[in-house]
Amino acid sequence: MTGKEFIQYIVFFIILTLAQVLICNHIVLFNVAMPIIFIYPVIRMQIDINSGWLYSIAFFLGLVIDLFSDTPGVNALACTLLAGLKRPAFYAYVPRDDKTKTVTPTVSEIGLAVYSKYLLTMTAIYCLLVFSIEFFSFADIKEILIMAAGSTVMSFLLLLSIDSLSMPASKIMN
Amino acid sequence: MRNLLRFLMKYGTWFVFSFYVLLSCVLLVNSNSYHTSVYLTSANTMVSSVFGVTSNITEYFNLHSINESLQARNAELEGEVLNLKNQLAEYRANADSAGDDDIRQRFGFISAAVINNNTRHPRNYFTINKGYLEGVKTGMGVVDQNGIVGIVNVAGRNTARIISLLNETQHFSVKLKGTHFIGSLSWKGNDPTIAYMEEVPRHARYHAGDTIVTSGYSTAFPEGLPVGTVLNRVRSADDNYFTLKVHLSSNFKGLSTVRVINDIYKQEIDSLQTFDYKSDK
Repeated sequence: MTGKEFIQYIVFFIILTLAQVLICNHIVLFNVAMPIIFIYPVIRMQIDINSGWLYSIAFFLGLVIDLFSDTPGVNALACTLLAGLKRPAFYAYVPRDDKTKTVTPTVSEIGLAVYSKYLLTMTAIYCLLVFSIEFFSFADIKEILIMAAGSTVMSFLLLLSIDSLSMPASKIMN
Repeated sequence: MRNLLRFLMKYGTWFVFSFYVLLSCVLLVNSNSYHTSVYLTSANTMVSSVFGVTSNITEYFNLHSINESLQARNAELEGEVLNLKNQLAEYRANADSAGDDDIRQRFGFISAAVINNNTRHPRNYFTINKGYLEGVKTGMGVVDQNGIVGIVNVAGRNTARIISLLNETQHFSVKLKGTHFIGSLSWKGNDPTIAYMEEVPRHARYHAGDTIVTSGYSTAFPEGLPVGTVLNRVRSADDNYFTLKVHLSSNFKGLSTVRVINDIYKQEIDSLQTFDYKSDK
């Protein structure tokens, strides 16, 4: 990774974080659907990235969102767990062989159908995790499931839109 | 050493992952009051059932010392009963007529077993095996055979979490027995046998060994319940008052059977106090 790419990464992270804390955190559609877009880098990072780096980036990304949202630990924990489930989720839809070892999860590399399934799975996992941690009690399981489902749909659509809009960013990710 | 390094290299990413997960959990539980409360509330079904089982096993270990203190307390009470009987006989002999038969007993007791107890933290809580189904409510006082031990914090269905006297955030209104010198009792951490009675007026007279009792200025405890004995005077932050070091009468490490105090006038008194606050505003 060159210095320029690194700076582009950082700028992209900052833009996503600001969009999450300044805009998305204040949108709760029908009281159930909250868009979550800051997990995009974790989802889009190439599959063969060093696991230690992946967990660290995911943790600090979640922590930054927590600091702005006044929910210490909630997003950090969910984001770290999401990073841990990235590979199992990816290989659930893509065969594990030498070709897919170094692939980056993008539409151009794995196709729209597979990418959509992977994106939907990752978003659903994150939403389920974050609402379960936030409620911290399965007494409200119905509410957790409704909020997770609503937020998954909304986040999935938004992340697909970002994908189509951010072609330069996709190149950065590659 | 080489094997250890090889092991660390092999499972390094798992260590990193576990470290971040643990760190997040610590942040979650320590920084969010809701999560802290859910995590700390041992008055939930699953945790209390585990504590119930362990308590059934371990409560036998403390029986000897509890028995000794019960016998001592029993002897003291027998003496008190004799004195009261004598006094009653005296009053009956002098009374013109009996007009006070309808005075109801104000305080009732709900007996409960301690199923989980902690004395190591700055803010200690313990759990009892009686909940709101048996009449336990938030704010009720809790005593054992030796004196006061805490106040009900959360009442679950069949269990309740008690804020221990060994909790730095909790203050109890107490007084020197036989006087009107009121103070505020609080625990400062470290030693589970020592607490401090603060805000005692400078003109108050005391001696080492004097008994500290509840003041009765709350609906949680009636007046005169034993709390501890005066050890000595310590430096106070405020020059207008002094602070007494108190040796607590209850053995918090061996808490086993306690009684929750039910003041039948509690609701009435609390509503009157709320009424006063409202009218003040």
